[in-house]
Amino acid sequence: MATVECRNIRKCYGELEVIRDFNLSIQDHEFVVFLGPSGCGKSTLLRMVAGLEDITGGDLLIGGARMNDRDPGDRGIAMVFQNYALYPHMTVRHNITFGLERTGVGKAEIERRLTPVVDALGLAIYLDRKPVELSGGQQQRVAIARAMIKTPEVFLFDEPLSNLDAKLRGHLRVEIARLHKTLKSTSIYVTHDQLEAMTLADRIVLMNQGRIEQMGTPEEIYSRPATLFAAGFIGTPNMNFMQFEVEGGALRDGLIHLPAPAGAQGQVTLGIRPGSVEVLPDAAEGSLPALVERDEFHGETRLVSLRCGTHSLMASVPAHMALQEGQELHIRLPEDKLHYFDTQTGQRLD
Amino acid sequence: MKPVTLILRGLLVLAALLVLLPLVWTLLNAFKTNADLLVSTPKLIFAPVWDNMDYVLGRRSVSRALMNSLVVCSYAVLLGAVLGVPAAYVIARIKNRATQEAQFFALSLRFLPPVAVAIPMMVIWLGLDMYDSRPALIITYMTITVSITIWLSVPAFERVPIAIEEAARVDRLGPYAVFFRIALPVAKLQVLSAIAFSFILVWNEFLLAMMLTTSRAKTLPIIASEMSQLGMSVPWGILNAAVVLLSLPPLILLALVGTGLNTAFSKKSSE
Repeated sequence: MATVECRNIRKCYGELEVIRDFNLSIQDHEFVVFLGPSGCGKSTLLRMVAGLEDITGGDLLIGGARMNDRDPGDRGIAMVFQNYALYPHMTVRHNITFGLERTGVGKAEIERRLTPVVDALGLAIYLDRKPVELSGGQQQRVAIARAMIKTPEVFLFDEPLSNLDAKLRGHLRVEIARLHKTLKSTSIYVTHDQLEAMTLADRIVLMNQGRIEQMGTPEEIYSRPATLFAAGFIGTPNMNFMQFEVEGGALRDGLIHLPAPAGAQGQVTLGIRPGSVEVLPDAAEGSLPALVERDEFHGETRLVSLRCGTHSLMASVPAHMALQEGQELHIRLPEDKLHYFDTQTGQRLD
Repeated sequence: MKPVTLILRGLLVLAALLVLLPLVWTLLNAFKTNADLLVSTPKLIFAPVWDNMDYVLGRRSVSRALMNSLVVCSYAVLLGAVLGVPAAYVIARIKNRATQEAQFFALSLRFLPPVAVAIPMMVIWLGLDMYDSRPALIITYMTITVSITIWLSVPAFERVPIAIEEAARVDRLGPYAVFFRIALPVAKLQVLSAIAFSFILVWNEFLLAMMLTTSRAKTLPIIASEMSQLGMSVPWGILNAAVVLLSLPPLILLALVGTGLNTAFSKKSSE
């Protein structure tokens, strides 16, 4: 078990700087997820922690010791790769035990450690097969077993579920969460899937263009996104954004009139999640008229596209609420569910 | 069966016969007497005789040439593999100007007409007093085996997923262990095919051997060609027997690594 600390970490490919001044401190036992769109640098960062990628500048500490120049095998890490990366010429058993053999662990000890790992992942019947004879989900279980048996200080996961189909992904996600509960190893998990991030993470590190956009628990990031990017990236369906000019301390256009947050100037972007938009049958105090443009049935809910003055927005309503395209109705935007951002800087405004 | 399929099948059979018939004919002729050979209608049914084979195998020049061929080709292929396979791995894994140039250089060795190699080589070996010796031929043949081994092994190593090697590094393997324990076993089949192919090339090599040997180091293809100059009339049976003998080692090798060789040439991914 160990802490992981990144101090002013930089990564350049030639002239191109892909990660600059990255600072992060991960606690013992913590499950941290690096979340972000592709190309944001999250995988590069993980590979630097693993030692598969050189660190251009800054310090990486695992368990308090500087790791920058150590080989991947000497960092006390284990890694699970996106495409499983099993050794195709070895049996499942050999795949799992190979790393231990290299570290000089005795045969009896390997056998003793193999059993619980294999049982935990349900691999007992596959031990003598070759990786090609297994499905993707089974292969990734073998890869997780290979990482687990080393009892590493830090687990690294590089998009481990993105090559699997949706159902299996959900299944294995639960399994990873369960394993983390029992093993309690410090874990870093890279994904672009916000659902994986929300369900697994103790803490999400939301990244964009090589920088940390926001860091916090899934609840914090969901309920108080720090930037426009965080607000737009987290949450399905996506948050609605509407642009306003601040005039005399208020946001207004012909229809909408809202108090502006303190100190807001120039352009302000107002955000509200589709689930927070209240749809009313009749006009009420503070309600706005809106027109139904499209109605999507999602099972439990319906996602309705609305036009409200010059703005268009989505509202998520219970599936039994029957709405027709072209129907006129009223909506209310509850003030405590509104998020204000400076349009220029993208920063949250309250 | 659809008529189109039938026609295509027929074409395939025709193509196969085009390749196979001369070989079968050669094989049959190796076991015929001259009386059976020199008839205007080729005989399919005849009493096979071992005379031609006996003659070929009984000649001292043939057995010496066979030894020469085996020794020269084996060493050339072995040394070619020892040098070429690691070189191919480096070219496949480290992409920079130097390795790109090295890869092209390896191929460019094969662009040269053999004669352009043979004449300078002849002068060099004469100067070193090694002309008509096995070592001279081995080193000359290495230019062929090294370049072919490199050229065909690079794609084999490129097909080894990089993530597997990274996983091995996390499993505490150093660069040499990654090569010997991971990359080489995974690419094994195609690398072996590359080596086998280089063997076939030097086994069949004629021009360099002819220009670099006169008596002691003569290889089998040279001896086989000499059989055609044995007398006034061409000894067809003996010639055919020599050809059959000459063709056997490459054919056996092909049978052993045939599938691998096929994937090495077509760029299909191998599972």
